[in-house]
Amino acid sequence: MGRRQVSTGASVRSCASVRASAAPRAAPRRILAAWLPWWPTERLARRHPEARERPFATVAEARGRMVVAAVNERARRAGVVGKMPLAAAQAVVPDLVAYPADPAVDAHTLESLARWAVRFTPRVAVAGPDALFLDVGGCVHLFGGERTMAHSLREGLDRLGLTSRMALAGTPGAAWALARYGKEDPSVAPVAAGSEELKEALADLPVAALRLEPGVAEALSSFGLDKIHALFDLESVGLGKRFGFGLPRRLDQALGLLDEPLAPLRPILPREVRRAFAEPIARAEDVRAATALLLGELCQLLRRTGEGARRVRLVCCRVDGEPQSLVVGTSRPLRRTEALTALFAEKLGQVEPGFGIEEMALSAEVAEPVEEAQADWTDGAIEGGRVGAGGVSPHHGASPYHRDSERGKLSGLLDRLGNRFGFDRIARPTPRDSWLPEGAVERGPLLASATSALVASASARWPEGRRRPVRLLSPPERVEVSPEPGPAEPPPSFRRRGRRHRVRAAEGPERIECEWWRHVAPPRDYYLAEDEDGRRWWLFREAGDTPRWFLHGVFA
Amino acid sequence: MLSAPPSVPDSATRPVPDALRQAVQRLESGGTVDLPTLPLGVPEIDAVLPGGGLRRGCVHEVGGDEAATGFCAALLARAGAHGGELLWLARGCDLHPPGLVRYGIAPGRLLVVSGLRRSEEMAWAMEEALRSGAVKGVVAESGEPVGLAASRRLMLAAEGSDVLGLVLSASPGVPTAVSRWRVTGVPSSSDGDDGGDDGGDDGGRAVASKWRIELLRCRGGRPAEATTSWGDDR
Repeated sequence: MGRRQVSTGASVRSCASVRASAAPRAAPRRILAAWLPWWPTERLARRHPEARERPFATVAEARGRMVVAAVNERARRAGVVGKMPLAAAQAVVPDLVAYPADPAVDAHTLESLARWAVRFTPRVAVAGPDALFLDVGGCVHLFGGERTMAHSLREGLDRLGLTSRMALAGTPGAAWALARYGKEDPSVAPVAAGSEELKEALADLPVAALRLEPGVAEALSSFGLDKIHALFDLESVGLGKRFGFGLPRRLDQALGLLDEPLAPLRPILPREVRRAFAEPIARAEDVRAATALLLGELCQLLRRTGEGARRVRLVCCRVDGEPQSLVVGTSRPLRRTEALTALFAEKLGQVEPGFGIEEMALSAEVAEPVEEAQADWTDGAIEGGRVGAGGVSPHHGASPYHRDSERGKLSGLLDRLGNRFGFDRIARPTPRDSWLPEGAVERGPLLASATSALVASASARWPEGRRRPVRLLSPPERVEVSPEPGPAEPPPSFRRRGRRHRVRAAEGPERIECEWWRHVAPPRDYYLAEDEDGRRWWLFREAGDTPRWFLHGVFA
Repeated sequence: MLSAPPSVPDSATRPVPDALRQAVQRLESGGTVDLPTLPLGVPEIDAVLPGGGLRRGCVHEVGGDEAATGFCAALLARAGAHGGELLWLARGCDLHPPGLVRYGIAPGRLLVVSGLRRSEEMAWAMEEALRSGAVKGVVAESGEPVGLAASRRLMLAAEGSDVLGLVLSASPGVPTAVSRWRVTGVPSSSDGDDGGDDGGDDGGRAVASKWRIELLRCRGGRPAEATTSWGDDR
């Protein structure tokens, strides 16, 4: 695949065949295309076997009515076609079974099917909503020839209950066209990409076989250009100008004059490492050493996928069959062995080896891509520099490198705190738009991407003109006020927990309305009241027929 | 080692003991004495603190009523004046960050761990924070005393870092604290030592953050007391 030459000049079609045959090719590219004509319905029929023997369609909503999206073979034979209103389809076929269409699941399941097809070749790509490309160049001989290979793929698909048409050709475009419109099935075009024979093989196929954008085939046929051979003699620039440049590109790709790389599925790399022991281990040091070993391997795996772990689970399988499981969470994707080892060191004491542990498995249950930065070496450089200078620098936050290493230290601290107390107990309180004091704070991101930016944007939102207490009671505490003051006057004194506080000075009222779009409650009038001991209280009166007084907070 | 101690305010009157003290402190604390201290801005108290302010890289203890919360917030804000993260280890869930803005802690600057009811949890978390050096200051609310062993661990964790450690506790709880403070609210209109100093936006206010700050004990310093009102202007 990597040795294939990339032919560029798209408009030099006449001499391309000469060049292609002259170019030395060790293993010619061979693409097997498998088209699943009834994919959406057959996929559903696998789950609903009762629908298999009946006319069957998936329906989707379009412009306020239900329209047929895909049909199975029986329904098609009975006359149901795509885009037909469901009512009309049911008029044609009264016993039509209809299921809602779900293109997302269709696509997802097709990807699973592509992974299944990896048994034929490691390079499998999904082609559109209902076809697969298998790059079989170089592995055909393992399956006893191209035709045999196509047959064994069909057998496999048959067993899965999937109807298929397939074709083998030198380019994905030609294989796709032949799979869908070829006379034979499987149709094998034993010709090299870019050759005249390939041109002939495609000549009589309809233009729709070129994987055109919607409407282009109709536009072409309105000019009388129904078959592919009609396009051979036309200038590609003229075609492109009139029908969009997708048309000449697709044509060249099908003929092999223009390279079309496949996007094969990325193999799913395991994020789990395990180790079985010849002798069960029971000592704490052994468990620790094995964990460190596994963590090292896991970090290597993660480095390969460019990810970091957010949650790591260690499962220890004991001799008596009782698994012991530990989970460690992190505040940002982590793949440094030492950092993860430190997090596990705290928890390894919880492992009870019993009669011994015979196997340990470590998996990154949640992994996220790591933003690869140069922090790794700058961290080291700064640390080294600081150690060399023999002291802690008093000026922090000056250089960007420094901030980055601070961030690393902070995430380390947060990981340790979070794993002991739970991440839900750590918060970075940030302002929230709310009228009510109890709703003015939200948790905020623990590790802000740029703390300074956050501060700058947020400082505007806690108005400094209004004084807020340092402690807020939740829920507000009922206090007795007597005698009841006038409507806009502070309380002369209040009684809390059996103790009477005489108010010496007060500020207020500050009226805070309830948030009527959330719930209905009377408005509150807040007073900052100072008693004779110099303690400052935040009291509010809840307006109503009989006003009630509450203590909501305490000022410093 | 005894040469050239940094000058302290009253070194002219008592040169030798202070010089000696500085030298011993530098030996004890592994260089953190050389960090700039954090002056309170209250002349009566800054004058008696060694180095003219609160030392970083050690643990201070603050008691009193709600005013102590404000005082801790103000000290924490000073520790983070040049950037860096600040951490508050809270016993309950009643800390109200909008109220701390007034004492210099901008929104989003503070990380809060809430619900640390047991003093072992608090001590462990504070030790981690001090040792990591990831924050510039940490306040830990403590209910019961933390005990001598945990207290020594805190001291060792703080040494050599530039983190300001504050324990906010009603009763004396950290035997190794370098200084012990008691901060209580006083009525705004009373005539204290510093009574007329209601500057800034407290100008027309009937109720100000007026505190009596008592320095009960300080290694290398003398007890002191001051009454002052604290606001955004400091």
